[in-house]
Amino acid sequence: MSYTIKQLEKHYDSISVLAGLDLAIPDGAITVVLGPSGCGKTTLLNILAGLDDDYSGSIDGFSDGRASYVFQEDRLLPWRSARDNIAFVLRPLMEAGLARRSSWQALVAVGLEDQADSRPAAMSGGQRRRVALARAFAYPSDFLLLDEPFSSLDLKTRIAVMDLFVDVRAKDGRSAVVVTHDVREAIYLADRIAVLSERPARVLDVFDMSLDRSERSYTSGAAVELETRLYRTILS
Amino acid sequence: MARRDGIAYKADGLLALAVIVALWKLASIGIGADIILPAPERVLQTFVHVASTAKFAAAFTATACRGLAAFGISMALGLALGLAGGASRRVEALMAPGLTIVRATPVLAVILLALIWFPAGVVPVFSAVVMAFPVVAADVAAGIRAADPGLIAMADSFGVSRQSALFQIRVPSAMPHVISAARNAVGLSWKVVVAGEVLSMPTHALGTGMQDARMALETAEVFAWAAAGVILCAISDAIFDSLARRIACHTR
Repeated sequence: MSYTIKQLEKHYDSISVLAGLDLAIPDGAITVVLGPSGCGKTTLLNILAGLDDDYSGSIDGFSDGRASYVFQEDRLLPWRSARDNIAFVLRPLMEAGLARRSSWQALVAVGLEDQADSRPAAMSGGQRRRVALARAFAYPSDFLLLDEPFSSLDLKTRIAVMDLFVDVRAKDGRSAVVVTHDVREAIYLADRIAVLSERPARVLDVFDMSLDRSERSYTSGAAVELETRLYRTILS
Repeated sequence: MARRDGIAYKADGLLALAVIVALWKLASIGIGADIILPAPERVLQTFVHVASTAKFAAAFTATACRGLAAFGISMALGLALGLAGGASRRVEALMAPGLTIVRATPVLAVILLALIWFPAGVVPVFSAVVMAFPVVAADVAAGIRAADPGLIAMADSFGVSRQSALFQIRVPSAMPHVISAARNAVGLSWKVVVAGEVLSMPTHALGTGMQDARMALETAEVFAWAAAGVILCAISDAIFDSLARRIACHTR
């Protein structure tokens, strides 16, 4: 499946949010959309997810498929356990027993099987993020959409959850679109980085990552050159 | 810390009660006529005497049954209408004029009409239902609509049906509103049921006891029968406090 965004435009009344946005999303890879706060990144994801159909242009591939969405907030049902939160989104697609088994497997994949019966209030921020990721991976979708999914976490937890996401996603193989305003996070996660302009957003440049994952750590200097290029593009 | 706060809260409540009783006592001394305002200890004495009679037991049971029936019917009706109104703006718009008329109608007008339409025992229940169910419907509808829009968008993004989102997100989100509605409905039910009994005078009823005592100018006895109504209200309040705490733990 190939995913292509062509001449995507979106207005809120007289305010232009997306202005002829073009982007090719490689199949089975992580594409990070990097842009300043308020530039229209969440609007882009909502359009790709099918939550907003008031736009012009085309989103080939996305409109035919089903999305797993990871929101900025955890958006877990407070009165349900971790396992039941995942089963909740699976039930429309499968019978109850299979939904519960799939939920359990998703929690095992993110290392949270011991929290299966815990409610969100009893979990840490990092654990809740992992449940939200497990829910997205468990849902039988065609692609993953993640809206600044790690920004609320402290650095150590963020790195741990990002590592988990990269590992599980690599095994899973689904295409993922992650939006963020954090350059280091983009470098850490991406196979491809698309840099967006200020609102109305358009793609300023696209960077395909050649750095090995081992060279992308927060303490490694190997990514400094790419980081500098990204900052130059953002600030240009 | 929370336990100490709870004890302090109860101590403050007892202090306030003691102040009310003291003011009552002072007022009764000042007035100096039992027929106008009997002293608290005289009311207590009369209450103990009245409460030990078979007439009181039958009246207390009958009023409790009427109150519970009115409460149950109000909750069933209010929940159904509140759910429908909360889920659909159109249904809410269709219900709004009717509910406004019912809410604005004075309780005595409802009781007087019920006296024309129904037998004595049904008047208090009918009147209480008419007064209480719009309160429940409005509270429940507000609770259904107050669900976190982020959770609704999440369900939408994962293809969860509107019906499933209604029962699995909106309804659980509305539980604190439902408890608050139930508390208001039960308090209103006791008040309107006793008021309806005072006017319709069924054979067994706290309201009938109050009316009989009033006609005999036994003011202390009127207070004693009224105290029984207060006790019913206090019991239901305690039950709802406990229920509200459990629901709060469940939905947090």
